[in-house]
Amino acid sequence: MANRRKERQKGALGSLKKQGESVYGDLAAGRFPRFVMPSRSVNNIVYDRKTRQYVLGSSSSQRSSGNSSQLRSFTQLMWLAFFANRLTKEKKSSTLRDVYYSSQAFAVEFDDQAESDNIIVDLEAVTSRPREDFQIFPEERSTIFGDLDVEYTIPGYEGKRMNLANHPDGYSIGPSLTTADLVGTSAEMVIAIEKGGLFTRFVEEQVDKKFKSIIVNTGGQAPRSTRTLLKRLHEEMGLPVVVLTDGDVYGEHIAMVIKSGSANAAHLRELTVPDAKWVGVWATDIEKYDLPTIPMTEADIKRCHDLKKDPRYESGIWRKELDVFLRIKKKAELEAFSKYGLTNITDKYLPPKLELAKSL
Amino acid sequence: MSQEKFSQISPSEFFYSNRDLAGFSNPTRSLYTAVREFVENALDACDHAGVLPEVRMSIKPSNPDARDPRHYVLTVSDNGPGMDPEQVPSAFGTVLYGSKFALKQARGMFGLGATMAILYGQITTNKPVVVRSCTGGDTAEEFEMLIDIQKNRPVILSRKTVPAKKTGLRVRISLEGDYSKAGAKIRDYVAQTSLITPYASITFDDPKGEKRSHPRFVRKIPPAPTAIRPHPHGIDVERIRRMIAESRPAIPAVDDAVAKKVRRELGLAGAAGPDTLAKRAAGAKKLTAQSRLVVALASFIGTDLAGLSRVRIEDVDIPNSKIHYWDYGASESRTADLDPESPHYAEIAGLVRGEPLASFLTKGFQRVGPSTASKFAEFAKIPPVKRVGTLTNEELVRLSSSLQGFEGFLPPDPSCLAPLGEEPLEKGIRKFFEPDFAAVVQRPASAYSGFPFVIEMGVAYGGRVAAGGPHVYRFANRIPLLYDEGSDVAVKVASETDWARYKVKGDAPLLIVSHICSTRVPYKTAGKENVADRPEIERELRLAIQFLSRKLASYMSKKGQAEAARKRANLYAKYMPMIAEFCTELAGKKKQPDYSSLVGAAVPAGPPAGAQAGGQAGAEDGSEAGPEAEAGRKAGATEGGSGGK
Repeated sequence: MANRRKERQKGALGSLKKQGESVYGDLAAGRFPRFVMPSRSVNNIVYDRKTRQYVLGSSSSQRSSGNSSQLRSFTQLMWLAFFANRLTKEKKSSTLRDVYYSSQAFAVEFDDQAESDNIIVDLEAVTSRPREDFQIFPEERSTIFGDLDVEYTIPGYEGKRMNLANHPDGYSIGPSLTTADLVGTSAEMVIAIEKGGLFTRFVEEQVDKKFKSIIVNTGGQAPRSTRTLLKRLHEEMGLPVVVLTDGDVYGEHIAMVIKSGSANAAHLRELTVPDAKWVGVWATDIEKYDLPTIPMTEADIKRCHDLKKDPRYESGIWRKELDVFLRIKKKAELEAFSKYGLTNITDKYLPPKLELAKSL
Repeated sequence: MSQEKFSQISPSEFFYSNRDLAGFSNPTRSLYTAVREFVENALDACDHAGVLPEVRMSIKPSNPDARDPRHYVLTVSDNGPGMDPEQVPSAFGTVLYGSKFALKQARGMFGLGATMAILYGQITTNKPVVVRSCTGGDTAEEFEMLIDIQKNRPVILSRKTVPAKKTGLRVRISLEGDYSKAGAKIRDYVAQTSLITPYASITFDDPKGEKRSHPRFVRKIPPAPTAIRPHPHGIDVERIRRMIAESRPAIPAVDDAVAKKVRRELGLAGAAGPDTLAKRAAGAKKLTAQSRLVVALASFIGTDLAGLSRVRIEDVDIPNSKIHYWDYGASESRTADLDPESPHYAEIAGLVRGEPLASFLTKGFQRVGPSTASKFAEFAKIPPVKRVGTLTNEELVRLSSSLQGFEGFLPPDPSCLAPLGEEPLEKGIRKFFEPDFAAVVQRPASAYSGFPFVIEMGVAYGGRVAAGGPHVYRFANRIPLLYDEGSDVAVKVASETDWARYKVKGDAPLLIVSHICSTRVPYKTAGKENVADRPEIERELRLAIQFLSRKLASYMSKKGQAEAARKRANLYAKYMPMIAEFCTELAGKKKQPDYSSLVGAAVPAGPPAGAQAGGQAGAEDGSEAGPEAEAGRKAGATEGGSGGK
């Protein structure tokens, strides 16, 4: 397991070095250096039915220092590669915001964080690697709880082990956890849940023990580090992933992004869990369990129609539930089950859903 | 019946009560206007004499401790030919006395302004004007005078002879003024006058003792305008009546010399009555036309030679057969019959009939030859042989309106105009504003209502030109116009120009210098501060501004390219070292690659690269402006020629 992490890191450093050598070689030869990356324009984002996710097409774009209007962003990208190299070598982690401020130490100008965020995505595209490979992490807001042993790889904690069931509030999914090696678990599944409130309820009700599961709070749309961890739990530990969200169109899409990624990250292929299952709350559950509802807004309805055009929503449960949402024009939150008692969701709703997931 | 009394007022009185019209409305404006009038008179005097002008002007408070508005002593002197001392009292002590009735371009008209200033000084301070004139030799005549406002005549307080070094005129008046308010305008006026009169040296000694000197920077006086006959389009009934009167031979005043000559020709020893005169005349073999006329007059009025010396013939009215004359002895106007049967009738009638229409037109007007005259006569339905003295009132009106309406006349002769010329104008603009770009153009002559005019225009960009343009410096007949800018035609044209089309962005350091030369500039007011928008003038201004703007646009785009190249070079100088530094560490190398060729290559070769040094770019463009302006003028001439119809 430890080798796997090291190899990843080695690969990342290698791809950075390759870019550095290319630029160095161009300069030495009196050529204007350039970066080539797949085009991220809307026209070049296509749905790949084989991998069941959005990927970038064949057209590529380049950032050339010979073009004076690209010189600035070329330099920014060059700097970021340089900076990511230092971070990775020194095993220091950094956030998007950190990167923005770090640039100022090198007199590299970014007008705002949006500009530096954009350059970070460029580096991902150039190297075809997620930024987490270069020690750049999102702000932490998602958590994990359950019987999972991990071994840290970050400096100062190398070899140190931890069981993630030791702290009832759960553990933040930050750089140390994302880069840790997954050692062992007794769990048989992963339950990803959209909301912190329900996460706490699940821990209290010992869902981890009752259903032999690891519970992950995605905190709304799952951050990329969380999606990476879900993927690793699925692939490395062989655990199925089920997703539980609010009963609305946004919840449905949270599940879809875990399963097949987002168009924004079409240049990356390692963030998806294609076998993940969405178990609820479905539109049909709203009627079936007679949940308290909120009427859908104009924006909710529009979002439904937009998603119906997405090829991933063409068939199956995804399409069926969208149609029901559009018919009943109502939505329900996870907390709606509390109408029937605080433990209703874990006692009555969850068991049959988990059973059902196996057949999905 | 009306009980009101009517009485004639003198021109002095008229202007005294209407001084606002001439720019003497308040102490601020009056001080400015007085400066203008005297400086312009001084420049005009030098121009006419073909002398390089040297004008000295000083404004000093009479009492330094007083506060504005207070009394000032304004002195203006020139190095012109001076003025005949006998003319000085009338010229400076009479309103509407002047030498500028001829049709040629001059700064002032009718010499009205200077006497207005003197009048204003007199009524505000009750102090006399002091005029010193030297026409040569080593002395000058100095007059101290007041104007008798009711009688419109000078009152000489003193006259003395003083030593003098060179010719010229010096005028000194006391007047109420407000320099604290007028100062800025006066300083602008002096500076702008120097710009448009580059061959003049002007010094200004201000109330604080600060001396401003504007030495001449051009040594050549532009060609002087020539006085010309009027163009038929610029005529009216009154003007024709006067021209007809002036075209007649004068009826002689019978003074002692004339009387003696007549007596000798007739062989008379002593006094003789009209009948004796007539008899002698009939018998005489040879008699001069003058003597025949005197005899005829004596016959009709019924007096002798001595009596004739006491009358002045006022009018000969052929249609009504009357002679009107003034009798000095009786001090009254009298009328005598003009008997058509009399043998003397032909003498008188021939005198006043004047010449035939055709020759009157060819002699009296420019652009009228014999064939044009006969075509015109047909157009006006007046026989070309008709004597102008016998035209009835209706015929005069028809003649006048036909002259204005007939399209067979060539455009007015511009030789009476004296534009400054492209070269001195550009030199002035460069000296005053040190602009990054300047161009000038002189349009071909054009005309409005029979008055010829020429537009000269210059444009300056950058350098010392203040941002917030386009600023418009307006000149007319080499006079700066500083007040009432808003309603001026040149300002109107400049503000209506779409500068963005010429790559000039808002708040640009842009200056327009507009100079209108004409025998009659159509000022909106008697204060001579803004030019009315005649369509012909507006059109010429527009063509001039368009021509210059195109040149400016080509400069601006070159400048834009140079700026882009400069920016590009800066960009590479800044970023390439960073790229080299980052990639060296990333590639795991020790030594940075040599990227110097790339920093150089990033800047395209050729002219824009040379233009990197700002000052140099300006100078290059500047030197080009000359020949280009020349070419432009030729192009302009063709344009004007075809568009003139």
